[in-house]
Amino acid sequence: MNRQLAHLSDEALVLLAARTEQSALAELYDRYGRTAYGLALRVLRDQALAEDAVQEAFLTVWRTASRFVPERGKASTWILTLVHRRAVDAVRREQRRRADSLDRAPEPSIEGVDEDAWLRLQRERVQEALRRLPDAQREALELAYYGGLSQSELAERLGQPLGTIKSRMFAGLSRLRELLGEPGTEMSWTPTS
Amino acid sequence: MDAHELTAAYALDALAPDEAERYERHLSQCEECREQLAELNEAAAALAFAAVAPAPPTRLRAAILETAAAERSNVVPLLRRRWVARGLAIAAAAAACVVVGLAVALTRSSHTSYVSMALSRDASGSVTVQFSGPVAAHGKTYEAWVIPNGKAPKPAGLFSGGTTTIIRLKGTVPNDAVVAVTIERAGGVPAPTTTPILSART
Repeated sequence: MNRQLAHLSDEALVLLAARTEQSALAELYDRYGRTAYGLALRVLRDQALAEDAVQEAFLTVWRTASRFVPERGKASTWILTLVHRRAVDAVRREQRRRADSLDRAPEPSIEGVDEDAWLRLQRERVQEALRRLPDAQREALELAYYGGLSQSELAERLGQPLGTIKSRMFAGLSRLRELLGEPGTEMSWTPTS
Repeated sequence: MDAHELTAAYALDALAPDEAERYERHLSQCEECREQLAELNEAAAALAFAAVAPAPPTRLRAAILETAAAERSNVVPLLRRRWVARGLAIAAAAAACVVVGLAVALTRSSHTSYVSMALSRDASGSVTVQFSGPVAAHGKTYEAWVIPNGKAPKPAGLFSGGTTTIIRLKGTVPNDAVVAVTIERAGGVPAPTTTPILSART
């Protein structure tokens, strides 16, 4: 694997990708491809659809890198937002989602997954932050983000007014941000080599 | 319904297409929502890391890179022009021991600036940085750091930027150390307070 670009920040890699530097796209994939695939798989529960979503998202990175604005957010956020949007679009398009899909379809087990230390650390940090949210907020975030439910579907499924659902999503996401912003929590990729 | 209230749902991709469209129209006119969305987007993207991530099949990486390469010939000319128009200068890697870094200077100016550096080590072991980038904003300075493997960053010099600056780093630079540049308040600081805009391994 070519890691000549391992010392560069994610944002610098996007700039290089905008110059059609293919090794920069490869490095971004090596940093975030696995997380992207895990996310797409969690939302779609289907390997082929998850691969499609990840491929479309990374090709969007490649095609639109020159329009990335670093002041508006981190490159990793941009990439994972693209992946999530593709996955949610696909899950809605395929109409595969059923009201009980989250309860039934098993989440991939961590057993037997050879996860690198950095990814494991990030996963544990975010999972811990999620655990610290009030149950109703966590439920709203998980059903929306991993389940691909729209806010109206959420309101219907949980039997709550739409206003309540909106408040839970806002409060949950804001609180999650605070929890992840606490010292010692760093979501950016850091060189390990 | 107030579009302000839709920021969290938008960040979670939990709006129906017509709602999302309406929110995007609102976003183009509301700075407050743009700022809030940037924050909530980051929190939402963090959720991606909580999902258990089995390794994707290796064909996925190959498929992405092959498709990207096939598209390359179509996009190069346009992007090259744009790149030049932005006034980017990448330091030429002339010497034998040179690393080129490239990053975005996150200054408070409204536009993005591009900076680059090339490192070269001479026979005596000292390291010279050839830096290209804009003059530091008023009250700010660039500060260079030497980060020996696994140790804390050591201040290695201040400079104000402007087209191309050549500086010799203070002290000895161990093999395999990382050289980084941050933007700090004028006069410099003993330890970095901002994220490096450039870093490269010597």
